[in-house]
Amino acid sequence: MVEQSNSGRMETPIVDVIDERLSRQSRLRRMLSRPDLGAFAGAVLVFVFFAFAAGDTGMFAADGVMNWLTVTAQLMIIGTGAALLMIGGEFDLSVGSMIGFAGMVIAIPTIYFHVPVGVSVILAFVMAMAIGALNGYIIVRTRLPSFIVTLASLYMLRGLTIALSIVFTNRTIVSGLKQYSDNSFVAALFSAKLFPGFFRWLAENGIINKLPNGAPAVSGLPMLLVWAVVIAVIGHVVLTKTRVGNWIFASGGDANAARNVGVPVSAIKISLFMVTAFCATVFAACQVFEFGSAASDRGLLKEFEAIIAAVIGGCLLTGGYGSVVGACLGALIFGVVQMGILFTGAPSDWFQVFLGAMLLIAVLFNSSIRRRVTGER
Amino acid sequence: MSKASQTAVAEKDRPEGWGRPLIEVHDLVKHFGPVVALAGVSLTVKAGEVHCLLGDNGAGKSTLIKTLSGVYKPTGGDFVVDGKPVAFSSPRDALDAGIATVFQDLAMIPLLSITRNFFMGREPVKRLGPLSFMDMDFANKVAREEMRRIGIDVRDPEQAVGTLSGGERQCVAIARAVYFGAKVLILDEPTSALGVAQTSMVLKFIRQVRAKGLGVIFITHNVRHAYAVGDKFTVLNRGRTLGTYTKTDISLDELQTKMAGDKELQDLSEELGGTV
Amino acid sequence: MKSSLLRGVLAAAAVVAVVATSATSALAANERFVFVSHAPDSDSWWNVIKNALKNAEHDEGVKVEYRNPPTGDIADMARIIQQATASNPNGIVTTIADFDVLQSAIQGAVAKGIPVITVNSGTAEQSKKLGALMHIGQPEYDAGKGAGERAKAAGVTHFLCINHYITNAASVERCQGYADGLGVKLGDQMLDSGLDPTEVYNKVKAFLAAHPDTNGILALGPNAADPLIKYLRDTGSASKFKSIISFDLDGDISKAIKEGIMSAAIDQQPYLQGYLPIVFLTQYVRYGVIPSNNVNTGPGFVTKDNIALVEKLAGEYR
Repeated sequence: MVEQSNSGRMETPIVDVIDERLSRQSRLRRMLSRPDLGAFAGAVLVFVFFAFAAGDTGMFAADGVMNWLTVTAQLMIIGTGAALLMIGGEFDLSVGSMIGFAGMVIAIPTIYFHVPVGVSVILAFVMAMAIGALNGYIIVRTRLPSFIVTLASLYMLRGLTIALSIVFTNRTIVSGLKQYSDNSFVAALFSAKLFPGFFRWLAENGIINKLPNGAPAVSGLPMLLVWAVVIAVIGHVVLTKTRVGNWIFASGGDANAARNVGVPVSAIKISLFMVTAFCATVFAACQVFEFGSAASDRGLLKEFEAIIAAVIGGCLLTGGYGSVVGACLGALIFGVVQMGILFTGAPSDWFQVFLGAMLLIAVLFNSSIRRRVTGER
Repeated sequence: MSKASQTAVAEKDRPEGWGRPLIEVHDLVKHFGPVVALAGVSLTVKAGEVHCLLGDNGAGKSTLIKTLSGVYKPTGGDFVVDGKPVAFSSPRDALDAGIATVFQDLAMIPLLSITRNFFMGREPVKRLGPLSFMDMDFANKVAREEMRRIGIDVRDPEQAVGTLSGGERQCVAIARAVYFGAKVLILDEPTSALGVAQTSMVLKFIRQVRAKGLGVIFITHNVRHAYAVGDKFTVLNRGRTLGTYTKTDISLDELQTKMAGDKELQDLSEELGGTV
Repeated sequence: MKSSLLRGVLAAAAVVAVVATSATSALAANERFVFVSHAPDSDSWWNVIKNALKNAEHDEGVKVEYRNPPTGDIADMARIIQQATASNPNGIVTTIADFDVLQSAIQGAVAKGIPVITVNSGTAEQSKKLGALMHIGQPEYDAGKGAGERAKAAGVTHFLCINHYITNAASVERCQGYADGLGVKLGDQMLDSGLDPTEVYNKVKAFLAAHPDTNGILALGPNAADPLIKYLRDTGSASKFKSIISFDLDGDISKAIKEGIMSAAIDQQPYLQGYLPIVFLTQYVRYGVIPSNNVNTGPGFVTKDNIALVEKLAGEYR
């Protein structure tokens, strides 16, 4: 339906410029103010760097690529959620704890109460999204900063995860999920490796490297990557191509202005918190089924990695600006750097130095872009 | 009265329904707990009329417009729109009834594109099977056209609103309200933060809007701005209507005096050597 | 603005490039081994192992890269093992912090033909199942049980087990072994203390106030023991307890043993867990020889009687 009210259309003839200062943007300048430009440049830079520093170390062989792609995909999943929420003007610091919590909700009922895997997974999604909705509701109702509210959830969820796993299982790592999930379609949905035949073919034709026993070094395309791409594509389309996307921008850009023109800001924000919870649960499900165990310290500090990916990807901490594509590039930079620095053989202690420097550069770059966008004011 | 003739719209150019009352409020009262913000305000806004609302800080201007635009519910009094009594429960209701409010600094989101701002909350959509997407081509086309009508030449309607000047932003916000079929426009201090050239741009645009037969409520501190475009002037003081005057009844100086609450300003003016 | 930023990025990249390449070239020795631990960055106990790795690096003329998940997340550790595998080292040494999580990563390394030795956490059976060459470590449950038996002999009836690393299955095993050695059922005596010394201190204080009949304490490592020792000194309450035992050693612990504040430390001789696997792997890669048995580096109990020998090197090589 096209909402198109022509009744109020101005009949004044089109006149020429009143203000003599033309408001025009050159093509170059418009390109420079894309939120994901910095991340794109950064990604290119990072690849060039590692091509020189670690080109011959196996980093760009099939299993090396799969290694940093896996880390990237994990971060893309929660980074997309974090980026959407950040554009909507809020933060979620409980993402990491949510990963640990959701993992336990999948593992404990399955292993200790023999609940079918599918039911446990649905339970995890429902509980996580309910907690996300609660976070959002508290923030919308009280107008407290989301930073504080979700910081509280960070501690409560982590504590709850440890406490409940001790109560139910007397341990903090719940293992042995494999026997319940082996023939489960739901488990396969999160951990299957697709197209094994294709990868065998690639290995036989020497396109990817082989193990000594002749098997390909990478046995298939992990579902984790599929989830990451699907979530990122949906996030990108919703944000840029739908009215909900416009409302997300509006809610983060100026919630009052948005409310004044009838944007359902509260509903948008609450939904976005549910989206980050959903992403955290997908992350958890992929991890739990890949490793066959849940642990109460899973996802530690992942909330910051998600935010870093979003910020490197050009999202403004103040909301209203950013892109999902940028966040995915941010995740890629993060994944390549995190694993690549190990490939170079440098002490991994340097990773955090590099990460901090990268974050600082990204933030400086973003603030200069913001000034550019709003007309150098 | 040369000014009056300059702003008048010739009989033949007037759209249908000219002069019809759009908003009528009688003895509107609004209490916030023990605080009386509006103690009986009466006001009529007609089609094709710029009705200026004047008053010092605390006179009740902003409570009044927030009540008219559906943000607050009145405690008492009559509120009639198009001859029918109304009770808005949200700004959305007021919008649906044709009352659009343009707030001074909350009108636009600087980081968003002109198009996205223009259609914010009323995005055009096109369906693709069960999915609906925002019709960006249509939105961009309309935004570009409407900008040209105001006289702002934007080659790229996807540029951020932040790149526009303050006056241009106000004009975009007004054009948006008009485009979406507002019958009454409430403009909250649209010129207070603007320079001379920008102000004249906004005032000219207000005049264009009136010529289309909309009713405009123009809230301002600045009597000169009001006098330049207004047809009627209602002065508020301490939550009450001090009086409503038509342009032919009152001079700029008299209006200035009324607005400041008669005596006090004159006293103050003498104290300061006549500079106020 | 733009160009200066770009220059900044390039400069930062250049710095890292120099660091990375100098690190590579300086140690561009013959064989390259990767040592993967599960310990978070903040766990100081692993310094002894890092020192052992440096010595082995020097003695054998090889290159050893020490890797660990910064937050101690075992799922991240699995990624690190996968990364190490992809980088085609001459050998991998890893802990088995969580068998289920690390299983496919370690087996992946073995499948790629990379010799693997497991150390520290994990059992000999797990090591064998994974296809590792051997396991070098201390059986956790048995070590805990040994401590529990000593405590029982000293007359302990109610105990506190300070667990600074509650998410590690091996830590829980130690507490369980202690409880079994003592013949007491493990319930709420296990305290999740965290790693922050102030937090550990206050949690211990609160626990002992709430459980005044506690007369035996087991600390699962220096991160738990050091604040405990401070508490015992501050309150002068060491004599109240019949047995205070800690896993592992550092300067504070050996001093406390010497002064009679602590009864004993369970020494798993971590130096050997760092040094031996590198030596074994080097010999295996060079000459194809390797001991056919697993190596138990512990438990050894350090008490007042043998402390003098240990004390000098505590925290560095012991």
